[in-house]
Amino acid sequence: MATNPSTYSPSQSSERKQLQQQRRRLFQETDWTRFDGRGFQQCRPAFLKTGAASAASGSAFAAFGATKVIVSVFGPRESKKAMLYSSTGRLNCNVSYTAFSTSIRGQSSDHKEYSSMLHKALEGAIILETFPKTTVDVFALVVESGGGDLPVIITCASLALADAGIMMYDLVSSVSVSCFGRNIVIDPTSEEEACQDGNLMITCMPARNEVTQVTLTGEWSTAKINEAMELCLDACSKLAEIMRSCLKEAASAPS
Amino acid sequence: MVGLSAGEKHFIYGGIAQDLRTDGRQRLHYRPISVEIGVIPQANGSSRVRLGATDVIVSIKAELGRPSSLHPDKGKVAIFIDCSPTAAPMFEGRGGEELSSELSLALQRCLLGGRSGAGAGIDLSSLVIVEGKVCWDLYIDGLVVSSDGNLLDALAAAIKVALCNTGIPKTTVNLGASPNDQPDVDVSDEEFLQFDTSGVPVIVTLTKVGRHYIVDATSEEESQMSSAVSISVNRHGQICGLTKRGGAGLDPSVILDMISVAKHVGEQLMSSLDSEIAAAEASAEDQ
Amino acid sequence: MTTMQRELRLSLNQTQRVRLQSALQQLEEMTSLASAITVVADTIPVNHEDSILKGHGTSDLNGEVVATLCGVVERVNKLVYVRAQRARYKPEVGDIIVGRVIEVAPKRWRLEINFSQDAVLMLSSMNLPDGLQRRRTAVDELNMRSIFVENDVICAEVRGFQHDGSLHLQARSQKYGKLERGMLLTVPAYLVKRRKQHFHHLENYGVDLILGSNGFIWVGEHVDMNGENHILADQVSREDMADKSCVGQVTQEVHERITPLEIRTHICRVANSVRVLSALGFNLTVEVIVDTVEASISLNTDIKDILAAEFYVQTAEREVQRRVSLSRKKG
Repeated sequence: MATNPSTYSPSQSSERKQLQQQRRRLFQETDWTRFDGRGFQQCRPAFLKTGAASAASGSAFAAFGATKVIVSVFGPRESKKAMLYSSTGRLNCNVSYTAFSTSIRGQSSDHKEYSSMLHKALEGAIILETFPKTTVDVFALVVESGGGDLPVIITCASLALADAGIMMYDLVSSVSVSCFGRNIVIDPTSEEEACQDGNLMITCMPARNEVTQVTLTGEWSTAKINEAMELCLDACSKLAEIMRSCLKEAASAPS
Repeated sequence: MVGLSAGEKHFIYGGIAQDLRTDGRQRLHYRPISVEIGVIPQANGSSRVRLGATDVIVSIKAELGRPSSLHPDKGKVAIFIDCSPTAAPMFEGRGGEELSSELSLALQRCLLGGRSGAGAGIDLSSLVIVEGKVCWDLYIDGLVVSSDGNLLDALAAAIKVALCNTGIPKTTVNLGASPNDQPDVDVSDEEFLQFDTSGVPVIVTLTKVGRHYIVDATSEEESQMSSAVSISVNRHGQICGLTKRGGAGLDPSVILDMISVAKHVGEQLMSSLDSEIAAAEASAEDQ
Repeated sequence: MTTMQRELRLSLNQTQRVRLQSALQQLEEMTSLASAITVVADTIPVNHEDSILKGHGTSDLNGEVVATLCGVVERVNKLVYVRAQRARYKPEVGDIIVGRVIEVAPKRWRLEINFSQDAVLMLSSMNLPDGLQRRRTAVDELNMRSIFVENDVICAEVRGFQHDGSLHLQARSQKYGKLERGMLLTVPAYLVKRRKQHFHHLENYGVDLILGSNGFIWVGEHVDMNGENHILADQVSREDMADKSCVGQVTQEVHERITPLEIRTHICRVANSVRVLSALGFNLTVEVIVDTVEASISLNTDIKDILAAEFYVQTAEREVQRRVSLSRKKG
């Protein structure tokens, strides 16, 4: 388990292995309760707030259970790289994890691809023609990683963009589901994600009923995919409602 | 970092000479400090310190490790600073690396003492569990959320506050059958020992602009500096570390003068920090 | 991570927090905005029978008018548009702005003005040092640096837009030009509304206050229209000569000397008042700024304490009083 040769945690790793084995057996059964007491189709409570970083044009903070993310948006600013005139703007996304975001220090998974996935999720929603020749920078910082990181990052980034006043066709919200045998569990935590059989993540624009990004891993039957997608889309639209009320609240603050 | 015109630079320089800086402070005055503890629940200790518009978060994690063969009776401490792009777009990718490594090195120098381990702000021998075999490794991670000058002082203050908030889990050791066996260490989840922070120093950075030095420079004032000296002072008035930045040469008498100024300012900073920590702990208990 | 409020970096104690909350709440009640706030992708209610023009911040979705920005819906005759409340600076011809030079290019200067793109000040839009009206020659081009160099702060007026949306500026009048002897503050652009006057000379304090519509605010020593400074008449003191010999970074011009302490205190007071007002999110007008400065003097607040928690809360309460008395006068 050691990522760094000079550290090791002897008793912790053997404990963890035991717990994992226990859980795997648990997940294979048909009926089990989730560790945080949620039902299979219940998402974590979402806490969203705009205006977290004062130096940025727009920013947002999202806390979904144990997953906490800050996103700041800078721009539109002049594109630093000398580029030919382009009639559309540029979007630049960057996702980084803090060293203390995971319980084992320094271990952060796959976040290099998260930057490009965030880009793909957002570029369909932003009206790039409104800021030609300039760049919008989106920086996401995962402060605490508790599972379902990428959906939370995408949701928080969309909120930060709306806070920054960038024109968008619609708010983007994202939800993921895990499958365990025959059960479909929405909004998994990191422990559940570690033992999942498959994962489906959907990013969509709820008011326009358009899906901007879909990723699927594992073995799924068509019926299960249908069920999972319906579940996700429903959760996405509810999440968008929460985002909307958060923005309305921020907009009615006195000036 | 925005450039300044000659007129603005002249104005700042004049203000410092007249003891009235652009935000109304005197030369040896710190910006208002605000302190929060326990901001990272999954860490052993954490803090967030705001010094004007500079905002930093420090998290401390303790993991079991092996002591180095040179010092079998001491634990290990590692300090890493990260400048996140949320502070400034130029920190994206490798942009913040130089600044991060410079800050990490300066903090290590000030807090970890000499090679023999003497004079360290953090008492490393309290981190050992089984001599030569098992000790605690402390990882101190600092994150710069927003930068408006004087990062070093803010980070050092945040580390001090985080250490006050740190609890090292109690351990029970079962020694193996033969002395060469790796002992089995049982880490308690319930009981924690508070870390002893009486020896942890604070850092006072004195920035020389023209003929005068100022404390707690904003990023505008930092762009004006000829040189800066960061002095680490502990509770007993002793100097625990010194780093000089900037290209201009300094007269040795100036450096000695700076040290005495730093001692005086460090005392005040230490006491205001202590009262902030007490207030933060009190409000944390209320919640 | 507990509370992160926009731009509020002060630690308030319990009573201060309560007072601030009540003051902000009263202000919220007074500004009746509840009507038409929209969020991205909210449908804007329109009467479909009228022919509606879809303006800024709206788009069409299945025949419905949908917002693409978060803000307030405004209707002017047949035009429906969304005005973002915390909008970026939206330039208009004739705006007075303050900018910083970032590049000296052939025949033009490029300025940064807190907008998505940089603005351009052509050499032909700038008065020549000798004051003559003549065609710019090649020698003038080479001497551009004698007028403005990088990082200079300049006050100018918006002349027009280029085809790609960036701005053209002009600085032909005596009141525009380089700004020295003071400091530049950056505030959100939506706090500075367009007024008749943007140049303010605060006579009691000897301070020049320029409220750039782009959110750059200049606070400095008063400089006459002719570019002369009355205090300049007192010549360079020996102390200044000694100071200069130690520092190589300051430009060594004979007539430059340090701002006197009294004016400096006024400049710092005005600057700190602007900072407090912008942190509270109040519109910046000369009256409010002068009010705040006078209040700080009458309360004997130390200049640096203007940025402290107590004065912050008091300023919010003062604003409530001001608006209450304004509304009483109206009706």
